[in-house]
Order: sequence, then structure tokens, then C-alpha cells
Amino acid sequence: MSGHGAHVENGIWMRAVMMGGILLTIGVLLFATLGVAMADVKHDTWAELEDDYHHEETVLAAQDNISAHDAKELEHLHHEVEQAHLSYLSYRVSGITILLMSIAYASFIGVGGFLNASKSNADDDHGDDHGDEYGGDHHGSASPIIFAFGIMLFLAGFPDFVIACKALLNASVTADLGMLTLSLVGLLTIVIAVSNWWFEDLPFTGAGEQIATSYPFEGEHIRKAGLWVFIMSEIMVFATFFSSYLRMRTEWCTDWAIRDGVEACKDVPEGTVVTASDLLRYDFATLLPGAINTFALIISSYTIVLALKTARNTKWEAPTGFMGKLMPTRKAAIRNYLIATLMLGSLFIVLKLVEWSHLVAEGFDIGTVQGSIFYIATGAHGLHVFIGLLVMLYLVFKADTVGFDEDNAQGIEYFGLYWHFVDLAWVVIFPAFYLY
Amino acid sequence: MGEHVEFMGKDIYFWNFLVLMFFTLFEVGAVFYDTVPGTDIAITKMTVWIILIVVGIVKGFGIAAFFMHLKDDPRIYTRTALFPVLFVILMLWGIGLSNPAGVTDLPSWCTPNWDYAETR
Repeated sequence: MSGHGAHVENGIWMRAVMMGGILLTIGVLLFATLGVAMADVKHDTWAELEDDYHHEETVLAAQDNISAHDAKELEHLHHEVEQAHLSYLSYRVSGITILLMSIAYASFIGVGGFLNASKSNADDDHGDDHGDEYGGDHHGSASPIIFAFGIMLFLAGFPDFVIACKALLNASVTADLGMLTLSLVGLLTIVIAVSNWWFEDLPFTGAGEQIATSYPFEGEHIRKAGLWVFIMSEIMVFATFFSSYLRMRTEWCTDWAIRDGVEACKDVPEGTVVTASDLLRYDFATLLPGAINTFALIISSYTIVLALKTARNTKWEAPTGFMGKLMPTRKAAIRNYLIATLMLGSLFIVLKLVEWSHLVAEGFDIGTVQGSIFYIATGAHGLHVFIGLLVMLYLVFKADTVGFDEDNAQGIEYFGLYWHFVDLAWVVIFPAFYLY
Repeated sequence: MGEHVEFMGKDIYFWNFLVLMFFTLFEVGAVFYDTVPGTDIAITKMTVWIILIVVGIVKGFGIAAFFMHLKDDPRIYTRTALFPVLFVILMLWGIGLSNPAGVTDLPSWCTPNWDYAETR
């Protein structure tokens, strides 16, 4: 964006730093509650049940004859141990995930805000509203190129970045600090580029939106056309995951295929090929995180639509009752709808990692072909959600400071297109990987 | 924008949201039951497959047409969104459904004979 429009004091960016601090505080508090206090209680329960199980097992092993009743009791106890372990994992993983996410949120919005607050005031550059219907005088932005350069640096050092992360956890692994530094420089470059992007976008009030002047998008907003072309490429990315999954899936003699009497699988014993859906779909408790995530994404799609609708509604009136207290003004309503979207998206990531931890605990890891395609496809989708959440942090910040209205609501609209696409991808992934 | 079209005092986004929620509940419910609740009618693997595909199409249409505004936006956006579909179909057919070791009774047109690749 060229940044035509509103006068924005640089000091306002300190609110982004404050927002980062609030997010970090919430993250630490939730980690202390869920990931430490609650997880410790669950761990004690798990340890007690495991002791009981081993004691019972030893007692029964000493007996000559084990009655069917005792065997059933032992099996029941074993099931309870497993459930207690999964319960412990749920709290522990959700606490750690929330902490890591809040650190990522805080550093992203906080560092970006700090960098922008440190800049000299941009009155001369952005204070004048001189755009015309077709965009008028535009200044090109270097941010996308810097951003792409940052990604290149980050990815160049990424394999060693992963090894370095392992080295932090395991002293026997040696990290290549040179490549790690390259990755970190890449990350910093990305943050600088994004913060510069924000700096250019924040004063944007809608004047000077660039319009395409040639076929086939003539008369359309260039940013919107660009976003649709981006979504087009994303469709291809997810199609590659789905087609490779389909190719492998048609080859597997899953329990379902065996029970359904598929001829080629008649001599294959059940349990030979275990997919994620075999572990997830038969039990309400195991399917619950995926199902909640599906509803969370649909609700978040609706809340972002409500944010856009509210921004464009010049005749907006505050609702009555409890909702009126939550949304006393149009500005507050837009911000709160965006916060709701942010929270639902964050819930998605937390539940996704809780679900992964359960699958890994049950032995379904990335070491198998089934595990590999499952974790890569759902992980790529989760990454898209997470990147969307980082962008949403800025939207929340802008909604809270400069604000959105009928003239500059494009930011919400274009982000909404991306967010709906992420929802759309889940519409395919969820039934294919969880239900089928 | 779809908020101008109202039904029973609510805009199209609200109804689209409800339809999406209902169909999600329906597809999750479909995999839980071996028989149609209250009857002896078995829910086969093929039935679940059909339900998942139909529900996926309905939900995909709801999100793309109403939430992504393709229904009201200029046609060029719909064409842009549909452009990769040809390649997606080719990938699903040429890669996804062409496994010669496929065990699920795929029809011959999607399990081509790969002998030429081995004997060439």
C-alpha cells in the first residue's frame, strides 16, 4: 500500500508492543494453569493408576489361574491408565502450545510495533490524501521483496535450524550455528518487512486503492485480483497433498476395506494398515478435537464475515442487552469480531496439537507412509491457519487504533478471502483424513 | 454483498452459516452409525463415501459462493477460482486414482495398465 490517508502518530505503535505484552501475559497464565498446575494433577492421577495397574499385573502373574473376571478388570485398568495418560497429554500439550503461540504472537506484533514506533514520524509521506479514483500517485512498496528475501534466507538455513532446535533439547546433537544464524536473520528480515508493510498500511483509509486497467481484471482492485491468483496457487498446493493421499489410500488394505469385503484384501489381517481415521473416527472422544476444529473454523469464517459486514454498514446500530455491552460502538464491534476469529483460530491450533500428541502416544507417528501424509497435509493446513492468525493480529491492532469503516474495509475482505480458503481446504481434509 | 438479501429477518450469511453447521454435524454423525438410527438399514462404506462427497460439495459451495462472495462478485473471480480445477482433476485422476496396486475395485479407466513403463 502507498499509505494515503489518515494521520497516524508513530507513538500509536507502542500500543502494539502493549498488545504483545498482554498476549504474552495471557499465554504465561494459561500455561501455568493448564500446562503446569492442571497437568501435574493429571500426571499424579496417571502415575497412581499406572502403579495400581502394575501392582495388579504382578499379583495376577503370581496366580496359576487367572479368572476371566480378573483379566477383564486388568484390561479395564489398562484402559483407564491410557485415558489418564491422554488426559495428562491434553493439558500439558495445550499449555505448552498456548505458551509458544503467545510468544510467537507477542514477538511478532511486539517487535513489529517497536520497529515502527522507532521510525521518524511519517507525516510528510502519508498525511496527504492525494489519491484519485484510479489510484493517483502511488509509491511502490519494497516490503514484498524484502519479505521474499527473508523467506529465502530462512529456508536456506531451515534444515540446520531444525537440527539446532534438536540440539537445544539433546546435547548429543551438534548444531551448525552458521546456518542457524542465517535462518534467524531470515526471520528478522521477515519481521522487518512485515512491520514496514504495516507501517504503510495503517494510515490507509481507502483512498488510492489501485485499480487494474487492463483485461481480464479491468476495473477491479489489483490487491483482490492478486489474492485470488494466490488462492489459485494454494488450491494446487493442497491438490498435490490430496492426490498423493488418494494414490496411497487406494492401495491400503485398511480395516474398513477388509470388513467391507474388498476382494484384494481378503487374506490381509485387520490392523495391517492403520490410518489416522482408524484411530479417530470410531470413538466420540478421539474425534472430538477434529470435530470441534471443524466447527471452530466455520464459526470463525462467520465472525470475519460479521466484521466485514459491520465495517461496511454505515447505518450500524449497537445491539441491545449483553451484546450491546460487548459491542457498544461499531469500532469495538469490528475489533471484537476479529478477536473472536483470532481466538477460534488459536483454539484450532491448540486442539490440532493435542490431537497429534494423542495419535503419537498411540503409536501413529510420522515414520509410516500413513503418518507421513497425514501429518504433512494437516500440518500444512495448520501452518496456513497459524500464518493467518499472525496477519489477524495486525487486523485486530488496526481495528483497535485507526479502525475500519466502509472505505478501508478491504483489509478485512481480502484477509477474509484467505481465511475462507483455509476453511474450504479443511472441508476437504477433515472428511478425507478423519472420517474416511 | 449478500447482506441485502434477507430471509426471515436474517441475511444470507447467517443462513449459510447454519447450513454449514448442520451439514458438518451430519457428516460427523454419518461415520458414527453402522445402521440408520431406528432402522436396520446398513450404512455401507460406499454410503459414507457418497455422504462425505455430497456434504463436501454443499459446504464448499456455501463457503465459496456466499462467504467468499463469488456469487455476487464479477464472474472473472469465479473463473480465476475455477481455473485450477482442470489441473486438480488431472492430478486426482492421473496421480490419485491411477495406482496400479489399487485394491478398492477402481474401474479400469482409472487404473491404467503400466506394463509399458516396465518393459520399455
